[in-house]
Amino acid sequence: MGRTLPIEDPLIRMQRDLKKAKAADPAKVRWIMVIDQAKCAGCQACTVACVAENKLPPGVVYRPVIDEELGTYPSVRRRFLPRPCMQCDNPPCVGVCPVHATTKNEQGVTVIDYNRCIGCRYCLSACPYGARTSDFGEWYTAKTADAPGVLVGKTGAAQGYEENPAAEYGKEWAARSRRDSPIGNARKCHFCLHRLAVGMLPACVTTCIGRATFFGDRNDPDALVRELLGSPRIHRLKEEMGTKPAVYYLG
Amino acid sequence: MLEKALQGSPKYWGWLAFLGLIIAAGGGVYMTQLQDGLQITGMNRDVSWGFYIAQFTYLVGVAASGVMVVLPYYFHHYKKYKKMVIMGEFMAIGAVVMCLGFIVVDIGQPQRMLNVMLHPTPNSILFWDMVVLNGYLFLNVIVGWMSLQSERTRIDPPKWLKYVIYTSIVWAFSIHTVTAFLYQGLPARHYWLTAILAARFLASAFCSGPAILLLVIMLVQKLTKFNPGEDAYKTLAKTITYAMCVNVFFFLLEVFTAAYSSIPGHMHSIAYLFVGSHGHTGMVPWMWSAAFMAILSLCLLIPPALRDNMKLLPWSLAILVAATWIDKGLGLLIGGFTPNMFEGVTEYWPTGKELMVSLAVYATGALVLTLLFKVATGIREETDNL
Repeated sequence: MGRTLPIEDPLIRMQRDLKKAKAADPAKVRWIMVIDQAKCAGCQACTVACVAENKLPPGVVYRPVIDEELGTYPSVRRRFLPRPCMQCDNPPCVGVCPVHATTKNEQGVTVIDYNRCIGCRYCLSACPYGARTSDFGEWYTAKTADAPGVLVGKTGAAQGYEENPAAEYGKEWAARSRRDSPIGNARKCHFCLHRLAVGMLPACVTTCIGRATFFGDRNDPDALVRELLGSPRIHRLKEEMGTKPAVYYLG
Repeated sequence: MLEKALQGSPKYWGWLAFLGLIIAAGGGVYMTQLQDGLQITGMNRDVSWGFYIAQFTYLVGVAASGVMVVLPYYFHHYKKYKKMVIMGEFMAIGAVVMCLGFIVVDIGQPQRMLNVMLHPTPNSILFWDMVVLNGYLFLNVIVGWMSLQSERTRIDPPKWLKYVIYTSIVWAFSIHTVTAFLYQGLPARHYWLTAILAARFLASAFCSGPAILLLVIMLVQKLTKFNPGEDAYKTLAKTITYAMCVNVFFFLLEVFTAAYSSIPGHMHSIAYLFVGSHGHTGMVPWMWSAAFMAILSLCLLIPPALRDNMKLLPWSLAILVAATWIDKGLGLLIGGFTPNMFEGVTEYWPTGKELMVSLAVYATGALVLTLLFKVATGIREETDNL
């Protein structure tokens, strides 16, 4: 038979890298992401997968795809910039928090303690990438018309879905409800730590139709992401800010 | 002394009832904010601080500005401010109360507010802002109250009060400097990332704050027999004029640096505010009005003949207050967030509910100020010293 694919799917390779990283000393693992803009088709599947994975309400988005238009007619083209949290080595958002609710974890991911955050949004102002959003308490089902008999139980089911607590940070959060966390909190991309904990790649990585998003351990010399870091196309956003992002782009 | 606040004319009680009504109405709207979250405001993903924090910033300046009366009186023994100095201290108290109110209504999880003290973080400027604001409130309550008490009893205040007053004078500068540091230390907000921001804050505070103080005192003079003396008015108006000149000068420095260097990041916010960006021109009429009123106020304040005209002065001051309020109470915040980090523009405008809650906070400050001024004028009436 031989191989069905001419080359190995990067997802298989990254899954293997992930397994290896999980077996390594956790203190020595540094998660990074590499996004190939030449492969991004701008489908926004990652944005949607992330919203579904983390049960994000309206107005909160962890990974938008920014659509840039370059050039002037007739020589124009579009370029897409998926923008997760950069998980900076030197994050401006962490130092400004007045209650120590946001910290960097062992693997370099910036996390938020929803139970401590007071919702002052200072971190939103401090982030040079606009990577943080505040949960202002909106609901997708708030203005959904209920049509009993036509959509039996559908609105109800959707409401239940919205109230389900997300599995974020692998913790048992209370159901999202009025006046309770994470409403009123700052929220951000966390590289799907809860998925990594059970050996799954982040939702945006597995969902990417163009295989444009790569994920792995920077400290593993054999990892796929390490190979990509050697590319001459590699760059990071706003390096002049000194934030040292852990998200790289192949421009 | 508080009993003085409990004796008043029907007009006085009517005013208090009116303020109470606004507070109750705004409080009701705030309850819906507690219930539904900050979605009731116009804030969004790009403009994540809005009208509340802008008012907070403006009022920290008003609070700090009491020092423009207190400093000449205590450091330079400028006796003509004798009657005005307590008003400066009491206005500072009212302003700090509003500042704290605007912070409370702005945060998403107010029931956890005490976390700021339970988990102190000295590397956060917000933590230090909390420290200096509460400290300033405390200092002014002590100073104002003890000075008034000594006036009533005609016994000199204890010697140590002098040192508390000196501390409060230095402290006044710190509250607005720390508030500017909230903004100017953020790496990617070009409109704020400027070493002159704290100086600009102080300059705008030292013209707008005393202007508000003078307007309030003029009103008090109309309603009671209180009279600080014409010289006090004239001197403070001079201070206001100098501070406004410096304020306008500092802003023009910003415009020059941005425009001549032509660095896009530095220009974009100013361009958005004054000419609009990507077809979004919501702020343009406001900013040009502010610029026009700033110049007009200077034209009315710089010539001594116009400045010393007590009929014209309240109008000049009101124009100045409007100009500085647009600059700091609207433009500073909106300009800082627009355009966003990736050059997109999301326009922000406060909602009716947001304005209603803000009005309630302003009414609370007015209530505190009314009660304190009532006590002060009551004591002065008693001692025949109005």
